[in-house]
Amino acid sequence: MKAPARLIAIENVTKRYATSSGPVEALHDVSLAVGEGEFCTLIGPSGCGKSTLLGMLGGLVHPDRGRVLVDGQPVTGPDPRRVATVFQDPGLFPWRTALKNVEFGLELGGMPAERRRSIATELLGPLGLKGFAGKYPRELSGGMKQRVAIGRALAIDTKILLMDEPFGALDEQTRVLMGEWLLDIWRRTRKTVIFVTHSLHEALFLSTRVAVMTARPGRIKSVLDLSMDYPRSMESPELVALRAKLWGEIREESLRAMQ
Amino acid sequence: MRVVAARGALLVALLVLWEIVGRASNPLLSVPPSAVLPALRDLLLLRSYPDLPASVLLTLREIAVAYGLAVVVGLACGFALGFNRLIGSAYGPMLAALYAVPAVVWYPSLMLFFGLDAASKIAFGFLLGFFPVTLAVLAGIRQVNPHLVTVARAYGAGPLGVFGRVMVPAMLFTLVAGLRTGLALAVIGVIVGEILGSKRGMGALINHAYGLLRTADYVALVLVTLMLVVGSDVVASLAERRARKWSES
Repeated sequence: MKAPARLIAIENVTKRYATSSGPVEALHDVSLAVGEGEFCTLIGPSGCGKSTLLGMLGGLVHPDRGRVLVDGQPVTGPDPRRVATVFQDPGLFPWRTALKNVEFGLELGGMPAERRRSIATELLGPLGLKGFAGKYPRELSGGMKQRVAIGRALAIDTKILLMDEPFGALDEQTRVLMGEWLLDIWRRTRKTVIFVTHSLHEALFLSTRVAVMTARPGRIKSVLDLSMDYPRSMESPELVALRAKLWGEIREESLRAMQ
Repeated sequence: MRVVAARGALLVALLVLWEIVGRASNPLLSVPPSAVLPALRDLLLLRSYPDLPASVLLTLREIAVAYGLAVVVGLACGFALGFNRLIGSAYGPMLAALYAVPAVVWYPSLMLFFGLDAASKIAFGFLLGFFPVTLAVLAGIRQVNPHLVTVARAYGAGPLGVFGRVMVPAMLFTLVAGLRTGLALAVIGVIVGEILGSKRGMGALINHAYGLLRTADYVALVLVTLMLVVGSDVVASLAERRARKWSES
């Protein structure tokens, strides 16, 4: 099998934030490359800069040093033709219906109303939101809201999907089901996904690669390649061993983060 | 239906009370409803005050200009204060302090400056209507969830897109409520201005009837003015409903 083309390249990126108690280094000299079609998970203790890194890929955060390339071109700002983002807080527009929220990016892109409506309507089926097109966000459950947000990201049909702890606010059961559902979507659309999570289960269940980040300032501690077939059984000896290994690394960093 | 009945019952009770008290007291100073009706008829048939239509028109025009200015200047000031941190922190507190001053203290100087004609009424209506509009814009901007702005930016919205698709819909209710309050206060400003000193307009007529102790005419004029005020508020509430529908479509 030939190595997949490098769709995303993060090169020696550093980021500092000014806070009231002086500058804080969120990321220190981070490099990571992700190939087309990969499901790459960033995992690490709270405050390790995972979200900052994702923000850079989305063009919302600018690195102080280093650069981020998508498709060989430096990221200078949000580029909805290539990158779509799903946030932990779904961030649905409360004055828009589910359907209108899914249409949002297409609307900004200037697509005619009829076409974007038919695209959004077709998406609602696989999102499990058929019959909820006319509902407002306040009428939807947490899991449904996040599926609308994912629909909004899928609607603009980008190569890259950034997901910042998308299921972090959901209860455990919903979370597992949403993971299975996302896996299905990903395997059908073959998008490149960068997925930030705190959950070992999600990382092992979904990813082709897992990048473990260190406590602040965030660095890439190690990268694991997972080649097991989907859907994965969490009880397989391979995954049980990987889980122990991954937990060992994360535990170390989380302990450091707590000090 | 029961709401309407309850409303009607209160109105009837007040009218009966008014009738009883009106008949019992000095007829020069108080008029019962039964005496107002003929006065109202004379007024509307232009017998008592033939210049009623011209006065109504003048007052409406003053309100329109005062409110128009209040909206334009209020929106501009509100967005300038809300979007520019320096302007906001420098002038925001000054504006709030100014709002706390009873506006009527400015009126004598407005009359000195703008004269007894329409200009001073417009200025006073503007002064009253301007504050709620500006403050509603400020409150509305604070209401916008910054995360939604981030989301919109991530999906390619520029400053204009963020403004039109996130800021405006998010602040719409507060903004429209402020615009409605502004209208009510602009109306009050113009009419109070006319009553405090003018030669024409509804306020001048009211002053005239009141000064000559033509109490029945005075009450009839007040009723007509009340219609104007209620009418403007009905228009405003219709606009509010339209805005709500628009924001949800």
